[in-house]
Amino acid sequence: MSNATAFLLVAAVSAVTYLSRAGMVLLLAGRELPEPVTRALRNVGPAVLAALVVTFVADPEEANQGVTAAEAIAIVAASGVHWFRKNLALTLVFGMAVFWVARELI
Amino acid sequence: MARSLGEIVALVDRDAVRDSLPLLVPAVPFGFVLGVEITNSLMPVPFGVTTSWTVFAGAAQLAMVTLAGAVSTITVILTALVINARHVMYSAALAPTFAIQPRWFRVLAPAVMIDQIFALSIAKTHETPERFRRYYLTCGALFFSMWQVFTIAGIVFGSAIPASWGLGLAPALMFAGIVVSMAITRPAVVAASTAVVVTFLTLELPNRSGLLVGAMAGVAAGFLVDRRPVDE
Repeated sequence: MSNATAFLLVAAVSAVTYLSRAGMVLLLAGRELPEPVTRALRNVGPAVLAALVVTFVADPEEANQGVTAAEAIAIVAASGVHWFRKNLALTLVFGMAVFWVARELI
Repeated sequence: MARSLGEIVALVDRDAVRDSLPLLVPAVPFGFVLGVEITNSLMPVPFGVTTSWTVFAGAAQLAMVTLAGAVSTITVILTALVINARHVMYSAALAPTFAIQPRWFRVLAPAVMIDQIFALSIAKTHETPERFRRYYLTCGALFFSMWQVFTIAGIVFGSAIPASWGLGLAPALMFAGIVVSMAITRPAVVAASTAVVVTFLTLELPNRSGLLVGAMAGVAAGFLVDRRPVDE
């Protein structure tokens, strides 16, 4: 790949990525949003993050396709700990520990 | 010097540091994988490294350096576009919070709007504009600087973290925790559950576009059961 092509590719993907992140922020700033839009936007966080969790766990491009029982147990355990303690470090350590143990046992 | 350092430290939001550190752990193996792929890519290495500065989106970068030279340039750009399409939803969701921020923040801050920073900052939208800004920028500075370190470390040291540790699961664990703590209203629970089911059913779609289908189905389902007034 030539330097010119690489430069163009990096510039294009950088621009596309920035616009995907800044577009709505810059477009919607200072505007009163219609009520249904505001209502819909409230649920974007839980919906996208939940969809991301599934994509991360069952990445079709990964070797171990689908969700293993150990992964599912770890997700439930981590969610439970976070619900009670709201501490991400604890959630990570506990979830990974449950995953390692479950992986060996199942 | 000491004073300016003190001033910088005073700008750092301690909660943001505490929340970001565990999310940085799983970024280490990801950064290492990216570093290895940059070395193997048909794209010249300096350009591959530049993507960590200018694109700053792990999944899109990985797809880009892996595909560069192997498929047409336009295909690489379109693939990155699909992978990054979820950012449009982040941008829309944070727009009302960003609207009351200074213009320089609205222009600069989206550059670091990655999954982790969205996940952390969407839970802080109720804070004052100053506090939200400090929190967001602290997270952004941490993730951005560490991502550069991890990418370079990946190029230099290769895959030093064994895949058998399964650290790839770590972001899912933490995001699941964040979802559960956000799902305190009925519409949020419906949105998250629908997104999980639909994403699972559409996993086979190319370029992870099932993620978008699932997320949009979740937003729609949450919207349909949402009876709360807007100013709540």
